[in-house]
Amino acid sequence: MHEVGIMESALTVVQRHAAERKARRVDRIVLRIGTLAGVEPEALRFAFDVVTRGTVAEGAVLAIENAPARVYCPACEREFTGEADSFIFTCPDCHALCGEVRSGRELELSRIEMS
Amino acid sequence: MCVECGCGKNVPFGVRVLSYLAPGLLKPRATAEAVATVNPEPLSPLTVEVHASLLAKNDLAAARNRGLFAARRILALNLVSSPGAGKTTLLSRTVDEFGREHRCAVVVGDLETDNDARRIHRPHVPVAQITTGTACHLDADMVARGVGALDLADVRVLFIENVGNLVCPASFDLGEAVRVVLLSATEGEDKPLKYPPIFKSAHLVLLTKTDVAAVLGFDLQAAADNIRRVAPQAQLIQLSARSGDGLAAWYDFLRTHLPP
Repeated sequence: MHEVGIMESALTVVQRHAAERKARRVDRIVLRIGTLAGVEPEALRFAFDVVTRGTVAEGAVLAIENAPARVYCPACEREFTGEADSFIFTCPDCHALCGEVRSGRELELSRIEMS
Repeated sequence: MCVECGCGKNVPFGVRVLSYLAPGLLKPRATAEAVATVNPEPLSPLTVEVHASLLAKNDLAAARNRGLFAARRILALNLVSSPGAGKTTLLSRTVDEFGREHRCAVVVGDLETDNDARRIHRPHVPVAQITTGTACHLDADMVARGVGALDLADVRVLFIENVGNLVCPASFDLGEAVRVVLLSATEGEDKPLKYPPIFKSAHLVLLTKTDVAAVLGFDLQAAADNIRRVAPQAQLIQLSARSGDGLAAWYDFLRTHLPP
């Protein structure tokens, strides 16, 4: 439950961009969150409402894009996308359990739309 | 449970050093504002493609820690588990035995008290206790401050005992070379299935308290199977810090991972 801290660091970046561009308000914020990032989108939404209150980003839409896990199979020398809602990754070709996660831990602020 | 409750107050954390060398509290250090921003071509003046990592500040501090450990040829391990899985008991015995062979130092994180640091502290082992206040995990800057308070002369192994929590520490790189996740026989065999991100990030999983598994009806084989399914990348060692079973394998692991 460190989602408030994460949203606070997002808000800091948003406020800086809004000030630089003299934006009146922030309409939309897009986050990209990996399946394995270890944060809960629902908790992020709750935190977002709390931390943006009284700021330029109050009332903005929070869009959360999911970044699925990309996993490497050393036997087949290929990357595959881990199934959603599962954390047990088996290669679609050789069905071996694979542990080399190439991406899926993203926790980033992708885009800010202001007016 | 964290600073993160939305109260808006920043509860400061403290570092207490239990070491014959550097007692007392640390002075706070300024942290660099370090959120990377890439801004190629905005779609419109008021739409910005930012692509900023929300953990950039922590990741930068972690990279600094990693550099320090590499330069000093220190093997740094981040020990993560639920509260009560046996991290402190394992470390106490490890510094008594393995610590006679290679100099060890310990940074311990807890919400409150320096009980764990007192348990681990030995004349030959510098220990720093970090009290996080309400924060549910250690971050890289806290570790830097804890480590900064220790005399690292001749230290080859640094154990970072994280706050007991299987969720939040998964996201925070501390600059460690090895992440160790402990699962004890007093928990459920299916914990790896319930908390996959932390197990996915492990280099080593220790199945602890094996001496009481039979009494508790804990199925070691089922637990090991679950660990292998969720964390096939991780090495697995079963041990009991009380009986001593499996400790030789743990010490061997440490020896083989010492930087040359």
